[in-house]
Amino acid sequence: MTTQATTQLPAVAVKSHRKPISWGSIFTFIILGFGAVLMIAPFLWIIQAAFGDTTEVFKLPPRWLPANPSLENFEDVFNQVPYHLFLFNSLKLAIIVTIGQLITCSLAAYAFARLEFPGRNVLFVLLLSALMIPGQVTIVPLFILVRQLGLYNTHAALILPALVNPFGVFLLRQYFVTLPTELEDAARVDGANVFTIYWRIILPLSGPVLTTLAILTFVGMWNSYFFPLIMINSPELQVITVGLTLLRGQYGVGALGPIAAALTMAIVPVLLVFVFLQKYIIKSIVSTGLKT
Amino acid sequence: MSEKIMTYQGMKRREMFTAYAFILPTFIGFLIFIVGPMLASFVVSLFDWNLLTPPKFIGLDNYQQLFADRRIGTVYGTTFKLAFTIITCNMSLGLGLAVLLDRKMSSVLRNFFKVSYFFPYVVSGVAIAIIWTFLYNRDLGPLNYYLGFLGVERIPWLNSSTYSPWAVVIADVWKNVGFYVLVFLGGMQAISRELYEAAEVDGATAWQQFRRITLPLLSPTMLFLTVTSVIGALQIFEQPQILTNGGPGDATRTIVLYIYEHGFRFFDMGYASTIAITLFVIILILTAIQFRLSRRWVFYQ
Repeated sequence: MTTQATTQLPAVAVKSHRKPISWGSIFTFIILGFGAVLMIAPFLWIIQAAFGDTTEVFKLPPRWLPANPSLENFEDVFNQVPYHLFLFNSLKLAIIVTIGQLITCSLAAYAFARLEFPGRNVLFVLLLSALMIPGQVTIVPLFILVRQLGLYNTHAALILPALVNPFGVFLLRQYFVTLPTELEDAARVDGANVFTIYWRIILPLSGPVLTTLAILTFVGMWNSYFFPLIMINSPELQVITVGLTLLRGQYGVGALGPIAAALTMAIVPVLLVFVFLQKYIIKSIVSTGLKT
Repeated sequence: MSEKIMTYQGMKRREMFTAYAFILPTFIGFLIFIVGPMLASFVVSLFDWNLLTPPKFIGLDNYQQLFADRRIGTVYGTTFKLAFTIITCNMSLGLGLAVLLDRKMSSVLRNFFKVSYFFPYVVSGVAIAIIWTFLYNRDLGPLNYYLGFLGVERIPWLNSSTYSPWAVVIADVWKNVGFYVLVFLGGMQAISRELYEAAEVDGATAWQQFRRITLPLLSPTMLFLTVTSVIGALQIFEQPQILTNGGPGDATRTIVLYIYEHGFRFFDMGYASTIAITLFVIILILTAIQFRLSRRWVFYQ
């Protein structure tokens, strides 16, 4: 009712009707702003330390800009450990597992969504029951198995188990069943086989959900620590997460500079990707509830 | 006519084989890497096996050791305390911040807050834990420095059994709270605005609206968050391993850290499997209880 009245008043009067900034919104802004500072400041501190003078960075009061900016710390990192290999291995594993999972999950999901075969529901429920089994519970037998298969200290030990993702199958299956069947029926009448339908019709229609799965898998694999810690022994095969702890082990806890440089190299690529793809990333993770 | 039926059946059969071929990669992996190890963990728990000498069958000795192990009670106590504190902090802080973010503000500002709260969630737990070891440094860490302005004495965050569990909790909440904020915010934005308008007409205060509309209708969101975070929090590993390595004493030793140490430090595969089975059983029971309880307090719009 009031809005109707104000719209008929001249512009000046509308302005005077505007509520003054309330104490509530000032309070909101202060709390949220303080929270944001707490979230951002540690990253800024680490980045300044990465570019700072090794002897100066870990002093009080905390610095927020490097005193004598240099790249010395970054050079130190590469002299100490094969950090470029850690980065390369992490990237390689994340890409292989992401592509692999998109294939294995979408094939299984399509079968469960559209094809008829005996045991379909039982097998689907069986597969989903695996969601109740946390990976850390089966780590001991898995480690023994990996050793028996001769895969200990190889990237295959990290790739092969990661290609099974019951959650991924579930996610894609739920999406596939919502797709209209008309296109598939038409293709079938034209004599297309199942694989052609899956490849030419279903996958091209499933961009959003495939992107979601790709983001979840990539982030999860890039950040994984427990499995590489156990399955990989040689430094040159190691990934970035374990690599960071190796580096810390070599320097001890006092050496902020080089470790900050390593952290910066691990975090900044993630930050850049995150800034560009934040909408997709947030949506993917929040809607599915990935626990990294 | 009969010819047509034959081809139809032939088509069905072909579809069946294609279907099995499609699920084959997933099911081979499922059997080898999930079902197999799950069943094998019961078998391994009956053996004494250090990987160097052949496994020796010892019956239920590992289970006997489990019941005699005093530390396991301590470790589970620590795990539950940490999990409970972490979930409580994440849920309440996450809800509080989401309520504030749900208020009227420019979308640029809201997006800035969302992104800055959420970013640590996508960074690896290892990187976050290492950052916090520096922040927690007793003499040179920024945390104690700024707390000093509030008159707080320097706290030995990582070397005291009183403070080290809090160090783990704070680092974990800092990393994960953004996830809770955004899930809660999503839940709130799904609640129909008409309900609030109706309540306003009836003269309900902001608090009443929150208590009587927002909270009950967020209960499915809360169920989802508790189920996922209880399972996650019971498996907490990276933060305590990197920040304190379980110490001092057993103050931050969680159950997965304990499994890891028995399995991959002492190479006692049998006993590590036995402990892992207890964790599996506990997670199953807790999940079942949560779904039971949820029938009583979850409301759907």
